[in-house]
Amino acid sequence: MGGYGDIQLLREDGLRLDGRKLDESRPVTIQAGILPAADGSAMVTHGLNVAVAAVYGPMEAHPRKIQRQDRAVIDVRYNMAPFSTSDRIRPGFNRRSREISKVTAEALESVVLVERYPRSKIRVEIEILAAEAGTRCAGITAASVALADAGIPMRDMIVGVASGKIEDTVVLDLDKAEDNYGQADLPAGILPNTGEIAFLQMDGDLSPEEFDLAMEYNFKAAKEIHEIMVEALQSRYQGGDK
Amino acid sequence: MVELVPNLLRQELGRLAEQDARIDGRARFEGRDIHLETNCLYNAEGSAKVTMGKTVVYAGVKFEIRTPWPDRPSEGSLMCGAELRPVAHRKYEPGPPSPESIELGRVVDRGIRESGCIDMDSLCIIPGEKVWGVMIDIHVLSDGGNIFDACGLAAIAALRTAVVPAERFDVGEDYTLPVNGTPIMASFTRVGGRYVYDPCEEEELGGDERIHITIGDEGHLHSLQKGLRGVFTPQEFAEIFEVAQEKCAELRKIVAKEEAN
Amino acid sequence: MSQGRSGAEQRLVTPGMAIGPLSGMRVGSGAIIHNDEIIATKLGWVREFNGTISVDPINSPYLPRSGDLVIATVAEVRNNLWFMNINGSFQGLLPMSLAPWKVEFGHARQHMDIGDSALARVQEVDECHNVVLTMKGVGLRRLSQGAVVEVPVNHLDRIRGLNNSNLDRMKDVSDCRIIVGENGRVWIDGSEQGISWAREALNIAKKHGHKTDFDKLMSQHESNYVNKGDA
Repeated sequence: MGGYGDIQLLREDGLRLDGRKLDESRPVTIQAGILPAADGSAMVTHGLNVAVAAVYGPMEAHPRKIQRQDRAVIDVRYNMAPFSTSDRIRPGFNRRSREISKVTAEALESVVLVERYPRSKIRVEIEILAAEAGTRCAGITAASVALADAGIPMRDMIVGVASGKIEDTVVLDLDKAEDNYGQADLPAGILPNTGEIAFLQMDGDLSPEEFDLAMEYNFKAAKEIHEIMVEALQSRYQGGDK
Repeated sequence: MVELVPNLLRQELGRLAEQDARIDGRARFEGRDIHLETNCLYNAEGSAKVTMGKTVVYAGVKFEIRTPWPDRPSEGSLMCGAELRPVAHRKYEPGPPSPESIELGRVVDRGIRESGCIDMDSLCIIPGEKVWGVMIDIHVLSDGGNIFDACGLAAIAALRTAVVPAERFDVGEDYTLPVNGTPIMASFTRVGGRYVYDPCEEEELGGDERIHITIGDEGHLHSLQKGLRGVFTPQEFAEIFEVAQEKCAELRKIVAKEEAN
Repeated sequence: MSQGRSGAEQRLVTPGMAIGPLSGMRVGSGAIIHNDEIIATKLGWVREFNGTISVDPINSPYLPRSGDLVIATVAEVRNNLWFMNINGSFQGLLPMSLAPWKVEFGHARQHMDIGDSALARVQEVDECHNVVLTMKGVGLRRLSQGAVVEVPVNHLDRIRGLNNSNLDRMKDVSDCRIIVGENGRVWIDGSEQGISWAREALNIAKKHGHKTDFDKLMSQHESNYVNKGDA
């Protein structure tokens, strides 16, 4: 979180700079099955973020050292396209993407029935085409829809959501300015049906009360976005049945 | 990962070729439907998405300010790169850029650069001190065959919609990047013994060598590339070159139509 | 596969979605029990049959089972065995002793080389998903002609139709031999026109196999072939 000196992020009328209420998400759209070469795929737009996920597998885990005799491993690659940010990113893995890939994989391994596929790997490729704060969450949401689209069994999906703090006020779903000049960011991966949490990160400064409110906002957003995820999957396959 | 080529597929492609037919029902020099969308990505100064059959490709343009080369103090620079990341197909593996993705980026780069559609002098801000570096990055999301043409088309369409972000860099007002021309690539793969235009995934899998031809607005060649194992005759080239002229003109119209919208 | 998918009752569920209370029902594939509730684990149609609730998945990877008839392609050859791609997570192993020929050690390649396809049966699958194939059995052989088309495994039932009715119609119209492998590969052999018609029919199944208007689309496609033949 950057400093918050002179930048005003809340308007006189109590709304945020882009006119959103404190507990309002940016608009979310989801499409399933957009990449024909993949076994499953999805595109999520969340505000101006664009995240695409492709799923391949299950396939034999290579190299052998990553193989698990009792379950599948989920091999996640989170990557930002060079043109996804305001300054071009040099292609290739960096520390940030490695960390996000790791915790995303562990979150997905918590919901996928990995014990069904010993010695296998399931490849999840997350590509961020446009970034406007909140790409890891859009990526998790896209990955969940892509896994469902690929027919991978899961006990629940994961919805990526985030809340944060700006001008000492807890708000849902930070946009770019709020992320740059706010005081805290709390991204979470929520299982919409069980209410469990599979992914959690935070940076900045939050009091215990602020944390509770931020999580309350996150659960509210997860419910809303989950409906869009379900709609995206159903609408892809329901055509012709009406 | 080297893909397994079923012998039955090669046999069938050969049989189809004898009857001048293709596995997906197209005529020999018929392309798949193309969908082009420009200005589709926030944060890219120019962008395009191309869908051709099962192939999906994005291109994004970014600018940076750099110091010119001492021997060319008033010239900016252009760079085009492609990534064949594992998102695009089961066959692509993670790791440093493969020879295939480097070839792809360089072939597209040559076509655009050599057509002269970007006047490098127009990228000068202060001679000897500051010039623009233009970077086109191509991102293949789904490889359903003939990614070369899709990448070439996405790259030039993105470039033609790019806006130079001068304000953000504090060097004047934003302006549309001047692009004088629309170089277009047409690719042919030998399938069942003869060349076909715009090969699909199965044709590439069971086919042989390929030829990529980039042609400018006046019908001049700007880049050629022969790839994969195999040889061809001058007569064969003459035939596909003629087809390429026609195909490139058609694709150029698609770019113009998208720009008019 | 029309059982339990009649009219208004059909319900498309997504992973994690509650299907209903357990209350005496058994749980089949594509669902699990969580807190006395039946939860879907796959995207698919809910099916209730003989007191068992399951989810017919829309999309599914191929999981080999012993006895499956599969269309396999040789990926690697050793002195005394073949590794075959069977469209699953792991390659299947065909030992020399289960080949239909008398193979001398070191001569496996002379019988079947890399890229060759064969009709084989899954002999055995162990807990770790190791697959052993056999080519001993009626009709099991190397496929030296014809075409192979891949289709989603969960659409195979629709492609076959009730008592193979769809498949028989396809064979009749195209005048082709057609063999459906459980691994989502269909072998077609006949005239070039017949093969291309059957390929297109399977493409329709790929795109529309999960929809209720699938049968209608197939009938349309059938009449297309007849028209072409008449012309």
